[in-house]
Amino acid sequence: MTRTTVLRWVGVHAIGVAAALFFLLPFVFVLLTSLMSDQQALTRDLTPNTWEWGNYAKVFDTPGFLTWWKNSLLYAGLGTLLTVVSSIPVAYALAKFRFRGRRLSLMLVVSMMMLPPQVVIIPMYLFWVKQLDLGGTLWPLIIPMAFGDAFSIFLLRQFLLTIPDEYLDSARVDGCGEFRALIKVVLPMAKPGIAAVALFQFFYCWNDYFGPQIYASENPGAWTLSYGLESFKGAHHTDWNLTMAATVLVMAPVIVLFFFAQKAFVEGVTLTGVKG
Amino acid sequence: MTTYTLRAKRRRSALRTAAFLSPWLVGFGVFFAYPLLSTVYFSFMKYDGFGAPTWNGTANWSYVFGSYTMFWPALRNTLWLVLVMVTCRVAFGLGIGLLITKIKTGTGVFRTLFYLPYLAPPVAATLAFVFLLNPGTGPVNSALESLGIAAPGWFNEPGWSKPALTMLAVWGIGDLMVIFMAALLDVPKEQYEAAELDGANSWQRFRFVTLPNISPIVLFAVVTGVIQTMQYYTQPIVASKVASGIIGGSGQQFEPGYPEKSTLTLPQLVYNLGFQRFDYGSACVVALVLFTLAMACTALLMRRRGGLVGAGER
Amino acid sequence: MRRNRLGLAVSTAAISVLATACVGSTESGATDDPEARTTITFWHGWTAPAEVKAIDANIARFEKKHPNITVKVVSGINDEKLNQALRAGGSKGPDVVSSFTTANVGKFCSSGAFADLGPFIEKSKLDLKKTFSQPLLDYSQFEGKRCALPLLSDAYGLYYNKDAFKEAGIEKPPRTWEEFDKAAVKLTKAKGDSYERLGFMPNYHGYETVPSHYMSQWSPTYFTKDGKSNIAKDPAFKEMYTWQRGLVEKLGGYAKLEKYQKTFGDEWGAKHPFHTGQVAMQLDGEWRLGMAEDADPGFEIGVAPLPVPKDQIDSYGKGYLSGTIMGIAPASEKQNAAWELVKYMTTDTDAVVRFANAIKNVPSTKAALKSPDLEFDPRFKTFLDIAQHPDSNTSDGAVNGITYQMSLQNFGYEVEKGAVRDIQAGLEKTAAEIDTDIAQAK
Repeated sequence: MTRTTVLRWVGVHAIGVAAALFFLLPFVFVLLTSLMSDQQALTRDLTPNTWEWGNYAKVFDTPGFLTWWKNSLLYAGLGTLLTVVSSIPVAYALAKFRFRGRRLSLMLVVSMMMLPPQVVIIPMYLFWVKQLDLGGTLWPLIIPMAFGDAFSIFLLRQFLLTIPDEYLDSARVDGCGEFRALIKVVLPMAKPGIAAVALFQFFYCWNDYFGPQIYASENPGAWTLSYGLESFKGAHHTDWNLTMAATVLVMAPVIVLFFFAQKAFVEGVTLTGVKG
Repeated sequence: MTTYTLRAKRRRSALRTAAFLSPWLVGFGVFFAYPLLSTVYFSFMKYDGFGAPTWNGTANWSYVFGSYTMFWPALRNTLWLVLVMVTCRVAFGLGIGLLITKIKTGTGVFRTLFYLPYLAPPVAATLAFVFLLNPGTGPVNSALESLGIAAPGWFNEPGWSKPALTMLAVWGIGDLMVIFMAALLDVPKEQYEAAELDGANSWQRFRFVTLPNISPIVLFAVVTGVIQTMQYYTQPIVASKVASGIIGGSGQQFEPGYPEKSTLTLPQLVYNLGFQRFDYGSACVVALVLFTLAMACTALLMRRRGGLVGAGER
Repeated sequence: MRRNRLGLAVSTAAISVLATACVGSTESGATDDPEARTTITFWHGWTAPAEVKAIDANIARFEKKHPNITVKVVSGINDEKLNQALRAGGSKGPDVVSSFTTANVGKFCSSGAFADLGPFIEKSKLDLKKTFSQPLLDYSQFEGKRCALPLLSDAYGLYYNKDAFKEAGIEKPPRTWEEFDKAAVKLTKAKGDSYERLGFMPNYHGYETVPSHYMSQWSPTYFTKDGKSNIAKDPAFKEMYTWQRGLVEKLGGYAKLEKYQKTFGDEWGAKHPFHTGQVAMQLDGEWRLGMAEDADPGFEIGVAPLPVPKDQIDSYGKGYLSGTIMGIAPASEKQNAAWELVKYMTTDTDAVVRFANAIKNVPSTKAALKSPDLEFDPRFKTFLDIAQHPDSNTSDGAVNGITYQMSLQNFGYEVEKGAVRDIQAGLEKTAAEIDTDIAQAK
């Protein structure tokens, strides 16, 4: 190694460490504060004097916290399942069928993907709550996912495009119908894409704040973690230690999930941009 | 083959296509086309959730554009966020993407660390940042003050609330980093080698080799960034609720935008008009403004050469 | 070309469009049998544990009296959620509702969010004038439409730290704002670039120190007879904003106060800044006395009416009045049963007295105010007197509820930090804003 390459190595890694600190320190402070006493959390101390692991028990003891967990899992789990099942055939058709209006359909999918949910919230709210009496529940958020999600369709289609048509043709030659070809040939090959879509959708539901705020705010029994967390802060005004403990508990599942499925996730993100 | 079987085949294939598309066709009609037209309808009606909607002419429109005191601040904030937040995010994302391609030791660890904040649920991340940046005892201001720097009020100061939100957005840069990283690795090595032979320094290599190669991705990042800014809702509303201390319960009513309308965005106006004031008509007017802006950006995205829709049509 | 096809698709979809209009509210004149076995849902906004417990005890007494009615209680409901649910009118909605925000009564009554109580009152032969005092009757109706009844009331006064007063050599609570300013400055003790103790937190973010609570001390007129905003014409408004801004400056300036405010505990928790001694005076409602004593603050608490402007000294003793109001959801199918609960909680002397005792509020019926069972600290009498003072007042209702007060508050935020040069011009602009908002809501 020459001198300059050594210097460059040091320089690059020093910047890397600095950047890593910027990304990591907020987590560290949140974690440390979550272990302080309520008095100390209001001071400028950075590390806890006494390690109050009981804060986490207190958060779990908050009335409703477990219900919020359950609701988040229901919303994210069921929502993801429905999205994946309903989006695969649509994505397949858009990727592999030749038909009139394909380009238009694709444009509409992209438009739906870019549509802020607030644009149609008034009629949707009146529809779900006044016509169907589903206010105070999460169903107005879950049911639409049985009808395909634009982002998931788009992402899956991008992935399916990478599967060569020859595989499909050979399945068709074997006498498979399109549906069987999809199940037998495409699905096994599309696993990484499906995993990425499932993860994105799970995260979307888990993180959703606007949806539960509109449809479930009056019924604490239907709150999700993301929505409940805010009111938790409201009820524990300056008990930053408890609020930070709750924050950790909302972040944790997502981060754990990420470590299990890191590869699928990063591939998915890449797919959104690079194939353009 | 007779024409008869050909036609039958064609019909069968059309049916098949329709069957595969059916979930989305229903979804498109019920959750996009119908509510969109309904939004247009309501924007001309007076409706507060009781009784039946009544015709209101263009009164809602002139109220929103002429008298609703939150409308123009929200548009101004959106413009600010587009100019500053999107630029910062793209610049940082590119920078971190470049950095990660240069890091040779512990790449995996660095990549994971850089990526992690992107995953933090927005409500949780916002709460964390309001705490970190709180003017009284937050660690950031403690550090600044010990360095003798006059610390700003961040989420409690109108001039600093958007920069604080920008910091939060830059923290969650993981998605852009991955996209840029993949694009950077796709740049043909030969071009760099050729540039090096020509005696180009590292800035020139970046300027004349890297940038032209990744420019479509930069454009993609900018346009999607702008669209995300149109939808920007959770972070500003949670930050302003938490920083103002008015979260709910009791008799206090929270009005979005704290401090002093500096964090207002268009989606929050839909919430304020529709679900706080129950003026559904005016809420629909704002929704349509939002729709127009978002669709203009989307059109831009689809127009670009080999754009999203053209992908894979090779 | 592309655009045309998109247009075609959209207009095809247009055919399938239906308007979502749906007639939600039903007229009152309920037909359900109040003697039948039934379950009703009651929504309230109390959140403090002691208050929630008190309301549950009150409900238990009601259920004992009406064994056929079971009440499902939901706590922590604010007006936003209430408004939303009443509009939805779904099956999971409430039957009996309550709100702390009397300023929203105008919205509740005029929009039909709360059912008209007239027929029920008539059926039960309830004499409202004999039961409630006039200000309470006023704030629970709007333009002649009675859609709510008062359930306990609130009177606002001044709390002060007697030990701190002694230490600063102040003998009695201030009666005019001039005296008040002097006391606030005297009581303030600096620590570094912040405070060890602040005499008073004047900022509009300081919990109860909102413009309408201050304004009552000037006996203002919010609206003219024809319903236009009067804030630029009644000099009281300019005086109040000017005075508050002056006090902010005297106490160290907006930024310094605001920073100190961030160290305060929750308004409804034990670590309220008045309890902890962080502030020596507090503008607050009568409930604070019980809460402060429960927190065992370690100093003697004094109470007094809030000061008044010098030229209104003969009305010293008045204060801001408000209260909880209770009504019936128009979509409820059990309105007669719901009325039983409303009637019990708002007019049954025993119920009102025991509830008032438990959450340390001012009782809302004339009979309860005279009840020998009413137990209170002698200091509580100050608030009973404020409640009955002829010049005590409340902020007016409006069709768009609290929105006009948000305008006043937003203007206040600008004034207090010194961003407004000409308060009169600002008031004129704010008055125009209030007028257009009300016109839009009508």
